[in-house]
Amino acid sequence: MTDFKQIENNLKKEAKRLLEAGEVTVVLAYGRGYDEKHSMPFAAKTSADVEKLVFNEYCNFNMARYLMRYPCGTKIAIAAKAADSRAIVQLIQEEKVRREDLIILGIPAYGMKNQKTDEVVDSKTTCGLYNPPLYNILLGEEVHGQPVVSPYEVLAEYEAMDKEARWAFWKKEFDKCIRCYACRKACPMCYCDPCFIDQSKPRWADKAPQSPGNMMYHLTRFHHLAGRCIDCGECSRACPVDIPLYLFHKKVAKECEEMFGQAAGMKLEDKPVLVDFRVEDSDKILE
Amino acid sequence: MLKKISINKISELAAALMGKGLLLAPVKENSGYNFAEIKNPNQVDLDFHNTIASPKAAFFPHKEDFIKYETGKPIGAASVIGLSLPPTFLFGVRPCDVKSFGIMDIHFNASGIIDPYWKQRREVTTIFGYAFDLEKPAETEEFYQTLGIGAADPEGSDVFMIKKGDDLLLDSVTAKGEKLLAELKNFAEGKVTDKKYYDEYIKKGREYKTRSMCLEPEAITKKLEDLFHNTDFWMGVSSACLSCGICTFVCPTCYCFDICDDTLFGQGTRRRVWDACMFTDFTLEASGHNPRTHVYQRLRQKVCHKYSFHVRKYGVISCVGCGRCTKHCPVNIDIYSIIEDAMKA
Ligand code: SF4
Ligand code: SF4
Ligand code: SF4
Ligand code: SF4
Repeated sequence: MTDFKQIENNLKKEAKRLLEAGEVTVVLAYGRGYDEKHSMPFAAKTSADVEKLVFNEYCNFNMARYLMRYPCGTKIAIAAKAADSRAIVQLIQEEKVRREDLIILGIPAYGMKNQKTDEVVDSKTTCGLYNPPLYNILLGEEVHGQPVVSPYEVLAEYEAMDKEARWAFWKKEFDKCIRCYACRKACPMCYCDPCFIDQSKPRWADKAPQSPGNMMYHLTRFHHLAGRCIDCGECSRACPVDIPLYLFHKKVAKECEEMFGQAAGMKLEDKPVLVDFRVEDSDKILE
Repeated sequence: MLKKISINKISELAAALMGKGLLLAPVKENSGYNFAEIKNPNQVDLDFHNTIASPKAAFFPHKEDFIKYETGKPIGAASVIGLSLPPTFLFGVRPCDVKSFGIMDIHFNASGIIDPYWKQRREVTTIFGYAFDLEKPAETEEFYQTLGIGAADPEGSDVFMIKKGDDLLLDSVTAKGEKLLAELKNFAEGKVTDKKYYDEYIKKGREYKTRSMCLEPEAITKKLEDLFHNTDFWMGVSSACLSCGICTFVCPTCYCFDICDDTLFGQGTRRRVWDACMFTDFTLEASGHNPRTHVYQRLRQKVCHKYSFHVRKYGVISCVGCGRCTKHCPVNIDIYSIIEDAMKA
């Protein structure tokens, strides 16, 4: 794998070239935060801004989250690791952004770490791919030969639980939720305005951080993400009380893949599974 | 009165306090420490740096039920939920967080309408402040020194605690604290040398280093007023912000709430629940108009409220530099850096 520093240099080089040539008006990537360890999402708009760009193992942020802040037609370059690239593909499928407006700066990488715990997150909380499925320019060499771990492997313990145990597990986890909505806000697929949970007519759930409101919020959000979640793990990483939301998303993603033979955000020509109908579709969902 | 207790006997002190009422202290949860009701005296553990959420929920819970009603019944049939509070001991509050209670008092217990819920909780509660460990460095996110708060300031606590080797020294700060310490007869009084150590520790706490800049409330207030319409500045500092509720929910000085009627199967509760200016619908009006539709407007509100409007209206900055907002922000937005950038802008 190309090392992080080299990727950072390539990122700066491409960002500078694209901005100076006027090919894009903004480069969505990562910048330095309040210290070395804490990088942050950063929108570079001038060649002076380019100097502030960084890339290191803590740059987990999914920049696809920010794409829809810019008016349609804005030319955007976006740094994208594997999962981020999948998010872009999914957003294009859902007609939220247009392929021709984007220059995707693909980042092949492994060994990404959670900044709070220093734990390697590849395939545990994120999608397990090392190479972005869609890009215009690659900022490093494609990763080959690195052992591939199924993103669903972490489900073993969860799948071993029976229905009652799973219910008890989620009840306990959701009781911790403080309803800060960081999970929804960090999610590139949660772009609804307004989100169902903010609606007042009808009101789908109470506002207090307690069940049944917490349950209503999470179960609804989980289902809105079915077949759309690209497994970037950002919801779980953002959560201040460490609720392992990724377990549910991965479980649903796995079932979708088994039933419909397609994972979210892998191919531009796919349609999101739940809005597509094929005669040969599995009937398992009706069982 | 100064008392001295061996730290490994802390559960005895916890048990004594539990015998008198409700004990709230930091408890280790899987993601870190948080204040919680102590059920077993052995749960009390002073090995924390600071809690994830601030202790404000001891006086201003995330959810507070006011009225119970039934749909279709006349208003007279609704009943007010009264408070019946036991004496409460809030144990192990860091000096910066203790300072926040005084700032919150301005809103709930001093200006305008007095909030009976906040007031009653404040009255029944004895605050045990706890100095930061001066031997250890501050966390990068903290900056209470900027706000003139020392790492061992007893002000605002009823009883103040510091560590001395394997012992805990407890000194009374208010008459309420004095009375309580006098009642804890099973615990020995400290010696003159302990008192000297305690006094010096407090003095040393003033020199303890966190991130700090020279900040005149008047100067920052003015600066932020001048910058208010500088959209480029605010768009720049907020370009990463997700507009979630973390920074305000963990903050000790954020006090916004919403009143909602929650009805389920005809049974309803009118309650207050925390709200946050970072939420999209915070300023959504009934007409459908929303004066703050952009993220930058919301982050600008949060920063300016704390460092400008609050100073104009009440004379003090509404931030104690605890660093929680920075530490828990999923995208590492740092209010200290924003203030620093504003001063340079
Ligand atoms: S939870 Fe559902 S409604 Fe809300 S933003 Fe996500 S997908 Fe949209
Ligand atoms: S980020 Fe965590 S605490 Fe916040 S709403 Fe989501 S699950 Fe709840
Ligand atoms: S500053 Fe951080 S914690 Fe606060 S709303 Fe923005 S993203 Fe959330
Ligand atoms: S604004 Fe941040 S640093 Fe200041 S009191 Fe609130 S959480 Fe602490």
